Amino acid sequence: MRDRAATRALVLGLLALPFGVFAPFAIWSGARSLRRIRASGGELRGGASAGGGLIAGLIGLATFLIGTAYWLIAS
Amino acid sequence: MIARILIWLLIVLVAAFTYPGALIVSLATRVAPPPTASTGPTGAVSWLHVAHPPDTRPYIADEQGRMVLLHGAIPASLLEFGPGSGPIYPLDTAAYENGQCPANSRSSRYPPLCMADLSQMAALGFNSVRLPISWSLLEPQRGRFSTAYVDRVAQIVDWARSLRMYVIVDMHQNAFSHFVGAGDSTVDLAYNSGAPDWATFTDGMPSHVSAGQRELNAAVLEATTNFWYDRDGIQDEYLAALAFVASRFRDDPVVAGYGVYNEPLFGWSVPPGFEDLLLFPFYRRAIDAITGVRDGIPCWSGFFMPAPCGYRDLGVGDRRHLMFVDTGLLREVTDFPTHLGLPLSSYPNVVLAIHAYTHIYTIDALTGQKAANATYPWGGYDQSYDLAEREAKAMDAALFVSEFGNAPADDDLILNAQLLEQEKHRTGFAFWPWKESGGGNWGMFAPPESPDASSGCLRVSRERMLARAYPRVTGDATLTYHYDPSDGRFTMHARGQAGDPTTGVYVPRSVTGQITSDGAVRVVVSDEPDGSRIAFASPTGGDFVVAVSPAPLALTGCG
Repeated sequence: MRDRAATRALVLGLLALPFGVFAPFAIWSGARSLRRIRASGGELRGGASAGGGLIAGLIGLATFLIGTAYWLIAS
Repeated sequence: MIARILIWLLIVLVAAFTYPGALIVSLATRVAPPPTASTGPTGAVSWLHVAHPPDTRPYIADEQGRMVLLHGAIPASLLEFGPGSGPIYPLDTAAYENGQCPANSRSSRYPPLCMADLSQMAALGFNSVRLPISWSLLEPQRGRFSTAYVDRVAQIVDWARSLRMYVIVDMHQNAFSHFVGAGDSTVDLAYNSGAPDWATFTDGMPSHVSAGQRELNAAVLEATTNFWYDRDGIQDEYLAALAFVASRFRDDPVVAGYGVYNEPLFGWSVPPGFEDLLLFPFYRRAIDAITGVRDGIPCWSGFFMPAPCGYRDLGVGDRRHLMFVDTGLLREVTDFPTHLGLPLSSYPNVVLAIHAYTHIYTIDALTGQKAANATYPWGGYDQSYDLAEREAKAMDAALFVSEFGNAPADDDLILNAQLLEQEKHRTGFAFWPWKESGGGNWGMFAPPESPDASSGCLRVSRERMLARAYPRVTGDATLTYHYDPSDGRFTMHARGQAGDPTTGVYVPRSVTGQITSDGAVRVVVSDEPDGSRIAFASPTGGDFVVAVSPAPLALTGCG
C-alpha cells in the first residue's frame, strides 16, 4: 500500500522549487512519510516520492535562505 | 526503479529551471570576471559606464570616473500607437533637415520631434533624452528591420551630439501592443504600443479593459505571457531587433545606452517569479546577445528558455553602452521590490531603471485616495527610492529614474517631492512626456492653441522645477546638494583631494543668483552662449561648498 503523504510531499517539494514558501511543508510532509514508511516494515510504499519531496523541499528552503541572505548582505 | 529515476530527473529539471538554477547562475555572475570593454572612437561626449566603488552604490560615470547625473525628458512621437499602423510622422530624415519640422498631426497625441525640441531641452539644462521607439516600426515584418526607422533615430542622435547631450534609446511598449484587438468600447488602442502584429498572440482572448487600466485586458495579458515564454521565437526576434539598433550605434558615445524593455507587464505570471524567472533572465539574455558575454548556460532558442539560459552572441560586440533594465510594472503600484534583487550579469554597465509614480499609479491612487492624504506608501515618497537603492546595490547596478511625471496641478506636491528624492538619492531622471499635441495633460508644454502647432507654451511650473541647478558631473559620488525652485537657491556640499576631477555644477539661464564657493575648492564660472552658467569646481583638498544665492527666477513659461 502506498503512503498517501508521499505523493503530497513530492508535489509540495516540486512546488517549493519555484515557490520557496512551500518548502517547510514539503520537508515536514516528506520526513513524516519517510518515517512512516520505514516503520511499516515494508507494508507502505512511496519512499522515493517521500524522499524526493524531502530533498526538493530542502533545496527550495536552501535557495530561499541563500537568496534572502544575499539580499540582506548585498543591499 | 524506473519510477525512482523519473522522480529524481523531474526534481533536477524543475530545480534547474526555477529558483535554484536561477540563483546559481545569478551568483555566478557576481564572481565571474567582468568582460573587457570594447574599443571605440572618442566622440563629442565622454563615454559613460557604471563605476563600482567598493563602499557605495554603483553609479553612472564618465571617462574620468566622475559621477554623471542625467536630466532629461521623453518625447514620444517615434512611437506607434493604435489603432492604425505605420508611422504618423515621416521617417525620411530629409523632412527634418535644416530646421524643418513636419506639421502636427491630429492622428497622434504627440507632436513630431524636431531639432528645435532638442535645443529647447538643452536650454532647460537637460543633458539627455530618453528616446522611446516601437518594435512594431522597427520590425514591421518578421525578420525585416526598418533601416529608415533607425536612420531617423540616428538623426536625433546627431542633433543630440551637436548639443552635447546623451540619448537613451528605449525599446518601448505600453500594454504590449496595439495589435491586441480593438475589442469593446473599453479599449482605446491609442494608448497601446509595442509589438508588431505578427508577434502578438492573443489566442482568442477577449480584448476588454477592466478598471480603466489598459494592462488589465485578457488579450494583453495573454500576448505578454506568450512573449515571456518565447512563443514561436518572438523573444528571439525582439533580441535581434535590439541587436539591429545596437549595431548601428556600437561606436557612438552619444547613445548612453539602451532601455531593454519598458514597463514589463507580468502577464499571467505572478511576482516575484515573473521577475526572477522570466524578466531578469530575459535581460541577461539581451545583455549576452548585445555584448557577447556568456553569463547564462548555453541553451536552445526559439521557444521557452528557462531562467538559467544564456543567449548566443549576436555579433554586435558592444561592451561600452549602458543597459537600462526596468523593474516589473507591478513595482510602480507597490513602490516595493517585486523581485529578489539578484545579480544580473557580469557585464558591468547595468542600470536599474525605476518608474516613480508614487500617488499616481500606486495602490493608494488606484483605490481612489488623494495624494495629499494617502495612506500608502507607508514610507512616503522615500520608500520607493530607498528600496531601489538597495535593489541596485544588490544587483551591482547603477540607479536611474527612467520615467516619472504627473499632472501640472500636482507639481507642488508630487513633482517637488520626486525631485527632492532624486537629489537625496543622487539619481538622474527622464520626465514623461516632453510635449503632447492634445488629449494628454502631463507634458512639459501646454497643449497647442492651434491644431497645427507643435505645442503651446512651456508650463511655468515645469520650468521652475525641472530647469534646476545640479551637479552634472562630480568626482565626489557621496556629495549632497539641494536646489530650491522657489528662489533658485542651490547648495552643494562635497569633498575632494587636490588633483581630483572637477565637479561641474550646471546653473540654468532662469537661475540668476550669484555663484559662490567656500572651503577647499577653486571655482571657475563659464558663461554659456544660451545664458546658462557652469561652475567648474576643482577641489584643493578637503570639504567644500558651491552655492547659488537666492534671486528672482527669470522664467519664460506660461501659466
